[in-house]
Amino acid sequence: MDIKRLETARLFHRFGFGPKPGEFEQALKSGLKSTRKKILSVSKLPTSSFVSDPIITDLGRRPAPNTAGVIDFATTRRRQIEEMQLWWLDLMVVSDNGLIEKMTWFWHGHWATSIQKVDYPLPMYQQNKILREYCLSDFTKMTKAMVNDAALQLWLDGPSSTAKAPNENLARELLELFTLGVNRYTEQDVKEVARVLTGYQVVPWSGQVIINPIRQDKNLVTIFGSIGILNSESLVDILVQRKDCQRFIPERIWYRFISSSEKMPDNFEAVNAFASRDISKAVSATVNATAISNPKYELVKSPVEWFVAVCRALELIPSKLASGETLINHLNKLGQVPFLPPNVGGWPTDQGWLSSATALYRVAFANWLIQQSRLRVINEIPVAQRTQKSADWLGVPEWSERTKLVLDESASNPEQFALLALCSPDYIVSR
Amino acid sequence: MQIITRRKFLKLTSGAVATGLAAKIISFEDIVNAAINNPLPANTPILVVVTLYGGNDGLNTVIPFNDSLYFSSRPGLTYPVSQMLPLDAELALNPAMSGMKTLWDEKKLAIVRGVGYPKPDYSHFSSMAKWQTGSPNNNLNTGWIGRWLDTQKDDPMLAISLGSVLPPLFSGAKRSGSALPLGGLVLPGGAIANQLQKISKPSKTDSKLMAASATTMRNLFAVSSDVQPILKAPAPVAPDLPTVNGGNAGGDNNLAQQFDVVSKLIAADSPTKVWSVSLGGFDTHANEANAQAALLGVVSSSIYRFMSQLKSTTRSNDVTILVYSEFGRRVVANGSQGTDHGTSGPLFVIGNNVQGGFYGDQPSLKNLINGDLAVTTDFRDVYATVLEGVLKSPVEPTLGNWSGRINFLKTA
Repeated sequence: MDIKRLETARLFHRFGFGPKPGEFEQALKSGLKSTRKKILSVSKLPTSSFVSDPIITDLGRRPAPNTAGVIDFATTRRRQIEEMQLWWLDLMVVSDNGLIEKMTWFWHGHWATSIQKVDYPLPMYQQNKILREYCLSDFTKMTKAMVNDAALQLWLDGPSSTAKAPNENLARELLELFTLGVNRYTEQDVKEVARVLTGYQVVPWSGQVIINPIRQDKNLVTIFGSIGILNSESLVDILVQRKDCQRFIPERIWYRFISSSEKMPDNFEAVNAFASRDISKAVSATVNATAISNPKYELVKSPVEWFVAVCRALELIPSKLASGETLINHLNKLGQVPFLPPNVGGWPTDQGWLSSATALYRVAFANWLIQQSRLRVINEIPVAQRTQKSADWLGVPEWSERTKLVLDESASNPEQFALLALCSPDYIVSR
Repeated sequence: MQIITRRKFLKLTSGAVATGLAAKIISFEDIVNAAINNPLPANTPILVVVTLYGGNDGLNTVIPFNDSLYFSSRPGLTYPVSQMLPLDAELALNPAMSGMKTLWDEKKLAIVRGVGYPKPDYSHFSSMAKWQTGSPNNNLNTGWIGRWLDTQKDDPMLAISLGSVLPPLFSGAKRSGSALPLGGLVLPGGAIANQLQKISKPSKTDSKLMAASATTMRNLFAVSSDVQPILKAPAPVAPDLPTVNGGNAGGDNNLAQQFDVVSKLIAADSPTKVWSVSLGGFDTHANEANAQAALLGVVSSSIYRFMSQLKSTTRSNDVTILVYSEFGRRVVANGSQGTDHGTSGPLFVIGNNVQGGFYGDQPSLKNLINGDLAVTTDFRDVYATVLEGVLKSPVEPTLGNWSGRINFLKTA
């Protein structure tokens, strides 16, 4: 395997959503150092101006069943959710800020919150803005913003947690899934953190958050052996400053960007880089890590990653596809829809995306997309060179002998060729 | 034994037109041959695993209705005693579980009490991983059924999970079960089907995940050509339930639909020994009483319906159902009329070959461990019993030398 091609492919697919036509060849010419630099520096550009922000409004309280207005409410709600989903998918496809979109996506899976329970689109949109704002900045600030985020509070029962009767849901996940990792705290810590986080009240339709002092527990708590009176800010400071947090966030980065099956080695460069809790330093260390050139660290592209990469290659814009509803339906069958993670642990990885059912759904999805593309790139390549050149087009390090053979057989039929390439094991997996 | 003739199969398959990529219909000859040539031998035991995701509250499932501590611990979260379904002088089923109560009265329901594992983990993900891998101490990435599959011959039909994502339960080191979405699979036909089969052949240069990806595509063709026609047929009729328009009522929830697919495939002699179905939503941190009753009602009626459907097949004595969740819930209610994550819970085993009754000790409400129920039975006792008694396989390759067993199966 050509390590330079492997590394270039990983830089495109893991720290962005795959190359646009021409980008992979260009990157091979300009070299790895320049590609790494480009990936890390584009993050300073403003959000692409090609995609206008969705209009997400305060829908007010959901009208009671069988009353006037309930149909209007439901229609508007559905429309706004779809608009929000298409807006984000569009950004992933067209944006030159690949890393920002990828990191926002990573954090969405980290603080995995679903509209299924949050119910109203506005708080979900507000949460996305927080994730976007802090995706490459200070993790302490991000965590403080997220603890005070309406959608996360609603999702993890924060508003029903009071001094009289604390609810542990948010407290436990804050320790286990968001800042420290499982078993890096005691059950006593969970109970005490739950007490600190009491008193939140949220207006679900507007996403307004207040802390009600009457419902808040302001007594002394003992967390990690120290006694004190804490509020959510000082609590987050304590959690994020813990050594376990410095390890945990790099572990999550490793899990999603390098390997979900191999354990993070102790000397993974992002751990030291995260000493300041600056996310961009950890990500930059990951882009430059030695693991990036090690062939054993493969990942399966998640359905959204696969779809966005396909759109970039086929020059398609999600919101301009035949039907937004059909698009979301395809993603749903593959098990991954933005704003709808399956649970607070986020989406599965690798084998979780590989079943005979998803194999089929992927074929149907690819077929639907191919019908809507001019297939410009394939058509412009002479038939005899299609197999070889399509590896550059799609950012694949190399085709296996098996895939080469099948692609050669289908080279004169662009639609079939594209379908087989996009559904090949070589493309589904990020080597 | 029900014999599926070629003619009968062809009748079942009419209407199964492949759509999508090309207009060509896949060969019915192939489907018929594949399904007829490899039926499950008569009297082969079948296991159906039912996973309840989210942590089912065991105390509101099998209720200690004579214990005043139960009522004082969770005001607003109990049911009127008059509505509960008493099993003996101490314990009653949730009011929504009338189907399970009937199975209990018929001595087909074993309730194993206080099931869990040492050092309970309160995380959904870690705890479910422990249950599904069957390994509470080591972080294995294979499931206990997956390790059993490793000891069997490679057959994508051997273990089938309903739904499009494969649970870790079914992942082995060498082999994995197959996932089958509700509604079945409509396969592409024609030239593209040939090419897709070619592109999923094993390749020497495949990485581990590429090989896994290729296998799923190969399995797709194997599973769907065997299964698709059968899914188009109506589910077996449940003689104990009223019929509406030739089918049984009550099948409109997701779990019942999963069971419908399982019963169709069992009736058609699918060579499948382990099935997995699931229901989510048990993470009842708030407003639990109604939500949990609704879910348990679905579980109870779906299982009762499925058991009844099996009566119109030849395999009603061969099927064992195992129902579990990743943990029970805290004894004391939280302030949101719900409960937080807890420890042990009851596990159900159902079948004609089951000796109905209680097994394992009921955890005491008086002697709690940090506010939680004690674990009185290790889930590996249950798994080991099922491996030997249902799957007729040695325990060692799957669970190591685990010695605990529970005698909830009738001895042959």
